[in-house]
Amino acid sequence: MVEILFLIPFLAGVLAFFLTAKSARKTLVATGALHFLLSILLWVYQPGAIIPAYFKTTHSGLLSLLVISLLFLLISIYSTAYLDIDHIKKENVFIGTMLLFLSTMTMVTLSDHIMVMWIAIEATTLASAPLIYTHGTPASLETTWKYVFICSVGIAMALLGSVLISLSMEANKVDVPMSFSALATVAKNLDPMWLKAGFIFILVGYGTKMGLAPMHTWLPDTHSEAPSPVSALLSGVLLNCAYLGIFKTHKIMVNAGLGDFSGTILMAFGIISVLAAATFILRQTEYKRLLAYSSIENMGIIAFGTGLGGLGAYGAILCLIHHSLIKSSLFLTSGNILLSYGSRQIEKTGNLAGHMPKTFVAFFAGFLGISGFPPFGIFIGELLIIIGAFQAGRTVWAGIFIFSLCTIFAGFLNHAMKISFDDHQAPIKITEKARMIWPQYVLLTTSAVLSFWIPDALYRTIVNAVVAFGGGF
Amino acid sequence: MTHLVDIILSFVLLSIIFSFGSSRLQGLIKALAFQGVVVSIVPFFIGHDITEGGVLFSLTTLLIRGIAIPFYIYRFIEKVAAHRELEPIIGYNGSIFTGLLLIVAAMAVSRKFSVPSASTSLLLLPTAISLLVGGMFLLMARRKAITMILGYITMENGIYLVGTTFSVRAHHIVEFGILLDVLAGVMIMAVILQNIKLKMQSGGEDTSLNIISKE
Repeated sequence: MVEILFLIPFLAGVLAFFLTAKSARKTLVATGALHFLLSILLWVYQPGAIIPAYFKTTHSGLLSLLVISLLFLLISIYSTAYLDIDHIKKENVFIGTMLLFLSTMTMVTLSDHIMVMWIAIEATTLASAPLIYTHGTPASLETTWKYVFICSVGIAMALLGSVLISLSMEANKVDVPMSFSALATVAKNLDPMWLKAGFIFILVGYGTKMGLAPMHTWLPDTHSEAPSPVSALLSGVLLNCAYLGIFKTHKIMVNAGLGDFSGTILMAFGIISVLAAATFILRQTEYKRLLAYSSIENMGIIAFGTGLGGLGAYGAILCLIHHSLIKSSLFLTSGNILLSYGSRQIEKTGNLAGHMPKTFVAFFAGFLGISGFPPFGIFIGELLIIIGAFQAGRTVWAGIFIFSLCTIFAGFLNHAMKISFDDHQAPIKITEKARMIWPQYVLLTTSAVLSFWIPDALYRTIVNAVVAFGGGF
Repeated sequence: MTHLVDIILSFVLLSIIFSFGSSRLQGLIKALAFQGVVVSIVPFFIGHDITEGGVLFSLTTLLIRGIAIPFYIYRFIEKVAAHRELEPIIGYNGSIFTGLLLIVAAMAVSRKFSVPSASTSLLLLPTAISLLVGGMFLLMARRKAITMILGYITMENGIYLVGTTFSVRAHHIVEFGILLDVLAGVMIMAVILQNIKLKMQSGGEDTSLNIISKE
């Protein structure tokens, strides 16, 4: 029955194409709410799939699904207010595509078959392309082209990787379904050479989509050009979907006894991403691009932690959850800033605290959370990763990691102070609407609460997800 | 003994060289259509058990890879009236030479791998590798955005060749899903390019678009 979760938004999305703008908005929020409700029911009852060969509820999938669902509901509420101000020509198409995007992302979290996951991840690229092109400006066209092309070529690599994994089964005559869960149990029997090759291609492929450096070039442009609710979805949700593909393949590698190989590569890509983000954040001139580079940083942190295993893997999952919550809230807030100041340039903003105090609270709290300031969960996640790195004897890696985090914090702080407190005389264009504020507050509060108290079911799911990597306490 | 499939695949290798040397989009598209047809029918020749579903799927693949995609791109070029010259970053002679080197390297590399069911054909793996790397080469060595799409499709053909011939595991419905994704991807890319073209015609020279659309 799990298929219902992606079928409902799919049907609602198709329906929305034929509705008026007003009805489409209602459909958007109603579908978001229904999806969230169904996700919770799925979490509680964990029913089987109609096509068990392709779909299954896994611990990592459930975690991502719940985050996606909550985020989508809040972003859809924000969008209804956002669309009042930022006039989009074909609003029903925009909303329909958003729902299709939700459907494809849900499919990623539920798919267990390697190829079905590939299909779903490529489908997320195709479904999100029209969203990025929403404003129809030359710059957004160029960005969409870059996004679709780089991601499609990248994901083609992941397809090759998936094919190579099937070769690793053929080579040793392993006869099981081509699902992540089945392969993880027979991983030791797979041919190691093809498996290693498959992992590298999958990492490069899905890594492109996840925004790992040096394949990240599409990400800053896309997140900057897309309308803010879409940026929030891309950053908070889509990157996690791509990570899920890498995470599940890494699990097969660990079970096959090749965890050191895949872990070290993951750590290397992770560190490169964090370093790249540190370099670009320092001299950033646009705040949406700043947030995009911060996403690259966080994806790097997550890859690094996952590759490390043990405490690091647990920390990585914490970072994953909190990054989604905080970053999507920040992108929504950046939407308010963009609509008010009419520019993406940091230097054209200022005195946010004076002009829009409620937005300022969301912005500054989000900034503190994302840059690893206590009490937010990213601080705990990063701390666990650093402790894990020292425990594993990776002191040099840990040193580079800490240095990069400090650099990023300094750079980000500089920009955040400018936006919040610098002089700005010109009047701003909008007043703060409740629906454009409280979704961010809910996201940030959820993150803050989860930092102190993790419900038992959630804790067990996280630990079960990372148990293969020796994660948890 | 030379296997029948090797004869067909040798033509695919030739088509790669031809596409590297081709200065016109039409030539490239013909090579692409030929490659699409061949990779779709290869499963018939390499001794996999052919079921009714298998035949149907192969025919669908042939229809999409060999006819629909090339035809769609051909129509697209006619519509946007792109200049036919390809503006290579690496010259045609250099490209042909690279192509030859690529095929030799692919042959040498293939010998090192022990591939299940490779005994049926000598050229399967080298052709797949050549298509894959050749596609990447076209992607990088030509300035026009449309050539990038053609390179992408060539790459996909290479991956498909590895997938269908060496592994009989994936279900047809899954492969069909992959095919649909590729088709939709190509169409979306073409639509974006078409819009870029329109914007350039209506809005005059825009620096941000010049990077990708020197058509």
